[in-house]
Amino acid sequence: MSDYLSITEKEKQEMLEKIGVQSTEEFYQDIPVRMRAKKLNLPEGKSTQETCEFMEGLSKLNKVYDTVFLGAGCYKHYIPPVVKAIIGREEFVTAYTPYQAEMSQGILQSIFEYQTMICNLTKMDVSNASHYSGATAAAEACLMCTDKAKTVLTFDNINPDTLEVLKTYLAPRGVKLIICKTKDGRANINALKKVEGVGCVFLQTPNFYGLIENAKNISKAVHEYGAKLVVSVNPISLGLLEAPGDYDADIAVGEAQPLGMDMNFGGPYLGFIAAKKDLVRKMPGRIVGETVDHDGNRAYVLTLQAREQHIRREKASSNICSNQALCALTASVYLATVGAEGLKEVATACASYAHYMATALEFVGAKIKYPTEFFHEFVTVTPGKAKRIIQALDNAGILGGWILNDDEILWCCTEVLTKEEIDNAVNIVGGVL
Amino acid sequence: MKTIYEISKSGLRACTLRKVDVPQYSFKKGLLGEKPNLPEVSESMLVRHYTALSKRAFGVDDGPYPLGSCTMKYNPKLDEYAASLPGFTNIHPLQRSDKSQGALAVISTLSAYLLEISGMDAISLQPCAGAHGEYTGLQLIRQYFLMRGDKKRTKIIVPDSAHGTNPASAVMCGFEVVSIPSDAKNGVNMEELKKALGNDVAGMMLTNPNTLGLFEKNIRQIQKQVHAAGGLMYYDGANLNAIMGQARPGDMGFDVMHFNLHKTFATPHGGGGPGSGPVACKALLQDFLPNPRVVWNDRLGDYRFKYSDKSIGKVTSFYGNFGVMVRALAYIVSLGGAGLKKASEIAVLNANYLKALISENYPTPCNRHGMHEFVVSLEKLKEETGVSAMDIAKSLIDNGIHPPTMYFPLIVHEALMFEPTETEEKESLERIAEVMNELYKVAHENPDLVKAAPHSAVISRPDEVMAARKPVLRG
Repeated sequence: MSDYLSITEKEKQEMLEKIGVQSTEEFYQDIPVRMRAKKLNLPEGKSTQETCEFMEGLSKLNKVYDTVFLGAGCYKHYIPPVVKAIIGREEFVTAYTPYQAEMSQGILQSIFEYQTMICNLTKMDVSNASHYSGATAAAEACLMCTDKAKTVLTFDNINPDTLEVLKTYLAPRGVKLIICKTKDGRANINALKKVEGVGCVFLQTPNFYGLIENAKNISKAVHEYGAKLVVSVNPISLGLLEAPGDYDADIAVGEAQPLGMDMNFGGPYLGFIAAKKDLVRKMPGRIVGETVDHDGNRAYVLTLQAREQHIRREKASSNICSNQALCALTASVYLATVGAEGLKEVATACASYAHYMATALEFVGAKIKYPTEFFHEFVTVTPGKAKRIIQALDNAGILGGWILNDDEILWCCTEVLTKEEIDNAVNIVGGVL
Repeated sequence: MKTIYEISKSGLRACTLRKVDVPQYSFKKGLLGEKPNLPEVSESMLVRHYTALSKRAFGVDDGPYPLGSCTMKYNPKLDEYAASLPGFTNIHPLQRSDKSQGALAVISTLSAYLLEISGMDAISLQPCAGAHGEYTGLQLIRQYFLMRGDKKRTKIIVPDSAHGTNPASAVMCGFEVVSIPSDAKNGVNMEELKKALGNDVAGMMLTNPNTLGLFEKNIRQIQKQVHAAGGLMYYDGANLNAIMGQARPGDMGFDVMHFNLHKTFATPHGGGGPGSGPVACKALLQDFLPNPRVVWNDRLGDYRFKYSDKSIGKVTSFYGNFGVMVRALAYIVSLGGAGLKKASEIAVLNANYLKALISENYPTPCNRHGMHEFVVSLEKLKEETGVSAMDIAKSLIDNGIHPPTMYFPLIVHEALMFEPTETEEKESLERIAEVMNELYKVAHENPDLVKAAPHSAVISRPDEVMAARKPVLRG
């Protein structure tokens, strides 16, 4: 058994004496006898060595694929070793939320720099310190826009998990969610004209099928209507493509896992929220601001806390407390490591491999479902053969795309792939077709 | 110190990428954006910048961190190692479940252990933090009444000593909050509770031991009355570190609760997350837990995902903060049942020892033995010397000790809340006490010195009013 305790039996006796009790049992005298727990029915504690071996054993029951064509909300990217070297520093890992500014300037400045990078990446005015995931960021962003106009309009081509989380978050607040059907995979804003009381439109681009939306036109229509545009973006795409600020989005959100985070079976990831500055007081979560200390030195603090639960309780803009600070640090170290040039290279590599693969799959008989521009994900149609294709790839140790239905597969390519890997996979698909 | 943008120089890079070996794809001009403004630094500049930042931060590995309500216990390196294994980090959440049996075993095993520790019947590990767990748990309560067609239960009772997240989570769930004052002994005021109960109450949220570190002696009567009025009991698990192996929320009559894996189960706080806030409940709420849940299929001998029609849906993408679950599982596996009980026992011992060492100068609002944390009031000290709880807290920084939680709970004036946790050694507790007692003396002899603290930190007393009035939120 390991216990991580630093108190010896002898010290324990000395401490009890000083406190003036016979045994630690006395501390528990307030617990009614009938409520006392029986001995916990858990396995006996393992030694440090055995615990390592046990966890290693569990990890080996998972299949780690070398070649991955699966995206759909989680993306395998190259993570430069320097990123992990930095974020593994114990001062970052083992610190609490920076409530004590004097002792936490490093954490506070790192969040301030993160906010700056997220604003520059999305071309928005203000960013919070992070949210749990892209999906929860989307939900709370929609809540920021629906104080009065209590309807959110979105499309059936957004990430399915995000859609589920929107449903969960909006209903209890009396906010209606309208899900518009799309044609040809892309959002159609015509439905907006037919409904009243829409507070915001939630759009994802590139959308779940990888297609780049006509965000400019949608933004215009949404603003003419008098609603706000909340847009979810893949941050890697912003190395190349237009940013939410370019098309006048009101709030930009997204899943920042692609910025230096492992796939980790779904988490921890990082939701980002960046907005126009007039929305800042509705933002959920921590925000770091720059100020001066009493000697006039530049200093950073948690600010606009009048929005937050520990000050405002039931009047807070959100209940969020712990967020994903270490993941936000990861994203900013990643962005500083690759820089704008590197991010553009990553985005270009993703798009280039994806387009190469799409063409190659067409060549072996798959049909590309949507005719419009895509980023690094795309959908193929192979009537009745989706499952067989993925199984054939799996037999070769390759993680194929996401099966949408019997006919369709959603593929993803990133910079970690090579031409050889793609050619090999396409050959296997060709074999099935 | 300079920001990373201030040291940035055009043309520098901290990493290079492999050349793409397929034809380069070019998007139409209209889709392209202008290059984002990101830092440009070399790798050594990058490392020195963040190393300098890290030295302006303070973690559990650096020294005592008696931050009340936050359970800043030591984070074992073994757990970090487990979470860094490629078999956990390099797996896709959507890869087939027969290729992810290890991950599903982590979720399932941790679930079973948490249920045993809490005395609950069913659980979801999906919520990403404590407040997210509260939110999810309250959604279960909401769904329970919706399914029964009981639409009038719109209120949640929250004691005034509760964590701020409690009322905020209730409002996020569409409930109205009824705050009830505490009694003279800082417990739940039974008279006020009776007045608040009715057929419009959906439930009550309670932390036990409460935020003063005191066990609610009346818990039996409290839960009986709430249940008799048709409401459900929510357990805020923030203080679970006090009672592992001693008492279980399920046995106390709670219907639903959350855990903070980043408190009780030693996963690191990361400067403000990621945490993990599993939600456990009694059988009457189990069908409403977030989708999907992991179940063992006895016939086929493997773990599977299971979806329920009655579920509240999803509260985040995929399955939550999996990496945090791996750490918590490694922690529980290494301690075992006896180890967890011992951890709680020593956490309570350490808190009472520290209290005994400082209580002469810093009185506590009640004379009972507390549990894993205790609150002192500096009201008298402030009257005598003008030195506030904040001043004492800031002076601790000069001594290499992270301050306790300040001005919480709200019902105690000039409050400092200490939670030393079980991993602190005796000498460390004695040093905290020595510094606190010395500060008490200095506060009387030279109050201005204490009021101007900290003296040795990289900054001192930042202007928070200016920060909020003229927000500068980006560089």
